[in-house]
Amino acid sequence: MKQRLALLGAALAIVANLSTPSARAETVLRVAMTAGDIPLTAGIPDQGFEGWRFVGYNLYDSLVLWDLSRGDRIADIKPGLATGWSVDPANNRRWIFQLRQDVKFHDGSPFTAQDVVWNFERFTKEGTPQFNPRQFAFARGYLTNFESVEVVDAHTVAFTTKQPDSLFPYNLSFLMMVSPRRSAEVGNDADAFARNPSGTGPYRFARMVPGERLELVRNADYWDKARIPRHDRLVLLPMPEASTRVASLLSGQVDWIEAPPPDAIPRLRSSRMQIVTNPYPHNWAYQLNFVDGPFADIRVRRAANHALNRADMKEMLGGVALEGYATLPPSTAYYGNPVRYEYDPAKARALLQEAGCMPCQITFAISTSGSGQMQPMPMNELVKSQLEAAGFRVNLQVMDWNALLQLGREGRERHQGVNGINISRATQDPFNGMLRFVASSQAAPRGSNWGHYNSPEMDALINEALSTFDEERRLPILARIHEKMSEDAVMLWVAHDLNPRAMSPRVRGFVQAQSWFQDLTPITVEAR
Amino acid sequence: MFGYILRRLLSAVPIAFGVSVVCFLLVYLAPGDPVQTLLPPDADAETVAQVKRMYGLDQPLPVQYLTWLGRVMVGDFGRSIATGRPVADEIFRSLGNTVLLAGLSVLVAFSIAFVLGTIAGRHAGGWLDRVVTGVAVVGVSVPNYWLGIVLVIIFSVEMMALPASGMGDGRFDPTSWEHVQYLILPVITLSMIPVGIIARTTRSAVSEVMNQEFVTTLRANGLPEWRVLRHALKNALPPVLAVMGLQFGTLMGGSILVETVFSWPGSGFLLSKAILTRDIPVLQGTILVLALIFVFTNLTVDLFQSSVDPRIRRA
Amino acid sequence: MSTTVSNAPPTGNDAMAAPRQRGYWGTVGYRLRYDPVTLFFGAVLLSVILAAVFASWIAPADPYQESIIRRLKGPGYMGHILGTDELGRDMLSRLLYGGRLTLLMGMVPVVIATLIGGGLGVVAGFAGGIVNTLIMRTMDVFYAFPSVLLAVAISGAMGGGVTNGMIALTLVFIPPLCRVAETATTQVRNLDFVDAARATGAPLRLVLWHHVLGNVLGPVLIYASSLISVGIILASGLSFLGLGVKPPEPDWGLMLNALRQAIYVNPLIAALPGIAIFITSVSLNMVSDGLRSAMDVRS
Repeated sequence: MKQRLALLGAALAIVANLSTPSARAETVLRVAMTAGDIPLTAGIPDQGFEGWRFVGYNLYDSLVLWDLSRGDRIADIKPGLATGWSVDPANNRRWIFQLRQDVKFHDGSPFTAQDVVWNFERFTKEGTPQFNPRQFAFARGYLTNFESVEVVDAHTVAFTTKQPDSLFPYNLSFLMMVSPRRSAEVGNDADAFARNPSGTGPYRFARMVPGERLELVRNADYWDKARIPRHDRLVLLPMPEASTRVASLLSGQVDWIEAPPPDAIPRLRSSRMQIVTNPYPHNWAYQLNFVDGPFADIRVRRAANHALNRADMKEMLGGVALEGYATLPPSTAYYGNPVRYEYDPAKARALLQEAGCMPCQITFAISTSGSGQMQPMPMNELVKSQLEAAGFRVNLQVMDWNALLQLGREGRERHQGVNGINISRATQDPFNGMLRFVASSQAAPRGSNWGHYNSPEMDALINEALSTFDEERRLPILARIHEKMSEDAVMLWVAHDLNPRAMSPRVRGFVQAQSWFQDLTPITVEAR
Repeated sequence: MFGYILRRLLSAVPIAFGVSVVCFLLVYLAPGDPVQTLLPPDADAETVAQVKRMYGLDQPLPVQYLTWLGRVMVGDFGRSIATGRPVADEIFRSLGNTVLLAGLSVLVAFSIAFVLGTIAGRHAGGWLDRVVTGVAVVGVSVPNYWLGIVLVIIFSVEMMALPASGMGDGRFDPTSWEHVQYLILPVITLSMIPVGIIARTTRSAVSEVMNQEFVTTLRANGLPEWRVLRHALKNALPPVLAVMGLQFGTLMGGSILVETVFSWPGSGFLLSKAILTRDIPVLQGTILVLALIFVFTNLTVDLFQSSVDPRIRRA
Repeated sequence: MSTTVSNAPPTGNDAMAAPRQRGYWGTVGYRLRYDPVTLFFGAVLLSVILAAVFASWIAPADPYQESIIRRLKGPGYMGHILGTDELGRDMLSRLLYGGRLTLLMGMVPVVIATLIGGGLGVVAGFAGGIVNTLIMRTMDVFYAFPSVLLAVAISGAMGGGVTNGMIALTLVFIPPLCRVAETATTQVRNLDFVDAARATGAPLRLVLWHHVLGNVLGPVLIYASSLISVGIILASGLSFLGLGVKPPEPDWGLMLNALRQAIYVNPLIAALPGIAIFITSVSLNMVSDGLRSAMDVRS
């Protein structure tokens, strides 16, 4: 039945295409990204989640994908190259994944269980010919609990985790499956592969002008017939400068821009551009250094949180943000009842006095642009001036987005002069939203606990959540973790983005999911 | 003449050598160990030492320099840290775009400035002269990156007539408006300074020639004024062309800000991205190539000048 | 912006023809007094400099005091004479304080480079021979970089910041100033009057001071004055690229960059820092031109 519906949908799509007068002309969707360069095309992309959004999930699939088909609820995972998964009843560290049949890479080779193992060796196993240090670096954050993977049969694989991990499938959604055949053709040279990539995704690689543009074309043979792109070509352009993106949309150079500056939104509206916003699991905050410097003291962390006037921040952002009082946006199922750090500069001063840190000298590492970073420069300046009004002395260390990500991966040990890092984070699942920032096992450079937060109580809660495979029973534990993060003021919380995008009136059919990732395939582009 | 050319060419060799030393040393101006940028984040001390050996960074500086120079001589500038691509590819792809931008800007500047400068030189001291001199001062005084932003506001944002950034799909075709439109704003912006400089040079060259005896003689002989002017211009042209050549070299290296404003995919934009990402091999290679181009254009201009007027030969 | 540096520097002026009765500097002053254009721009320049120096007295508001509800308002809003910036800070105050850093970053390198470059040039010109070759060939190497490129390369490699930016600009300006000084010194040294003065038995020190330095100083100062405008445009260019002044310190180039997004709300505000750079630069160029013709004693 389902298949028939899909077929019907495909047929309707064809009819719809035929009835458009310009069915012959190639339809092109041109997207201006906030990234400074084209995300890596060799598998797992760089440039943050924007890389996954535009390159990763378009050229490739992972075993687990995100359901981006609706905009009315926070997106969750769905079957991807795997059709289903379950925990081995005999061993709660072993996950069985059934793989989709009849999936082909863009180079024509079939996708099999052996390819999954090959790809995991590419991420993890030094010494194998396909091992790639860069992919290893990008994958490691999602593989901290991965122990091994084995072929069960041609269309089944089994993963073993180090610890029982009820959230393991979420991690697999970030690991792109590339074609072993193409990799062998280019001698397992990752650079050569990036210039001529082959995956299973809804788009195929067409051409690339390094640093300038990446062109993808519709994969008419995509296994998910409902997600065969409704436009012919997708052009991705890196444009880190926000006002340049706006000018490019207004002058008709692109059809779609990411993150227009709030100041430009009224101007864009008056030119009939569409502005879409939607909440999504996003946290714009500072991860703090719990070992070196003043933030080791909880009073200083609380003081900083009381020093922020988040209403002003929202105002400055033209209203396209939620005030950030905790790691998760309030609409999250396991939000719980965290402490609310209201704006109270007097209290902040008092806390600093008490902690003996006045004026309290701190350094934040920040970026000039980047995926999910919103308007980093004015926002950081506002944070700085608000903190300074409450007795802090803030030094902003400005760097490129990739440099900041690297600093984030390296952890506090290599950056003891830095007291906080301003990497906006995705909170789409409990592990990536919370656990990885506070689990002692996730201390950087192994994981994302950049500042080496360490609390036995927290670790116990985390272990409890990870070994609770029943979702109903897991929720209150997760909520407790969120509340404890708040009590311990593990971050300096600022805002949650509302993810504005602007597109030309010719762009139709886009549904903005409550997610960092978006499905571009249903979009049609009207002729000019 | 041939001997002179040879001498001048040879004299450029030590300069090129010095330029390469400066570029090489740029890496050591950067704070921190240069090897850090080449390594994965959690590399231990042993790996650091190994990579240092691999890149020859444990050798004494002069040895390192010679190794680097040897590789550069055969066009191997290493690999970009940010993208992993060979630096030589990145430089030469972007260089063509900068040649296009700088070349066109100088030509546009020349056509405007030569007319302006001639008018001013002909009427030296008059109100037209003052107007042109004023325009020339504005040209050299306006911060061109700011002018670029203003032009984008007017032509891209308000009139929605011209693209604001980039150069289209990367396959430049000079006969198609689709592609040419990307050039207009950057060229106008980048030609402001050369307009000022060339106009000034033309003005002084023309006014100097116009005051010379032979012009007076020509006039006295009843030659029509336009033919007098033609004679004068012929004499004024060489220094103006020389300045134009120098300007081309300057713009090749000086278009960083304008290219950044327009995201023009040239060598200047490459450089500004390399600075942001602290991509030292790209920084080093780009600067070296641009400086050598500058040396070469200056040398060409010098030879051109001396062939026109042997008196200005340098020792 | 680099052009003035990379162009052939003006050669030394033959000051010998100056009307003797007023003395050299007297003549220059006399001429300037009758040059209304130069006087006008000189006055503009002086007010820009004074405004920057006395910013803390003149500025109507704290340049760091932000107010989000008052952001990006036009001139005249609630007592903000030139409006407010993207964080609601008083534009006029930011521009006044911004002038400090911008002028400082533009001028200090020229002053230092004049001392170092001029000194080296005089030494090279006097010593001649191997010393001259050594100094001048080293200069040739730095001369081989377009000035923007050299400034960006050095400050970029050193990691940006005000001090590094000033060091970079100083290195950019030393070679051309050195050349001017060397050319002028060599010319003067070979002039008969120096020998004549020496022949009359005047002490060498006096000869140097009176004739040589006097005749070298003119061209070097003229040239240095023309570099200040370049310095300011280059300095704000560095800040614009993120290599100079760091936020939230006010600086014209940095403000220009930060206000780029404000063009959709209040284009006038976004244009102000550029206008400030432009006015200063035009004034500097006009004054420098005026000085040049006043000091060019032949005309």
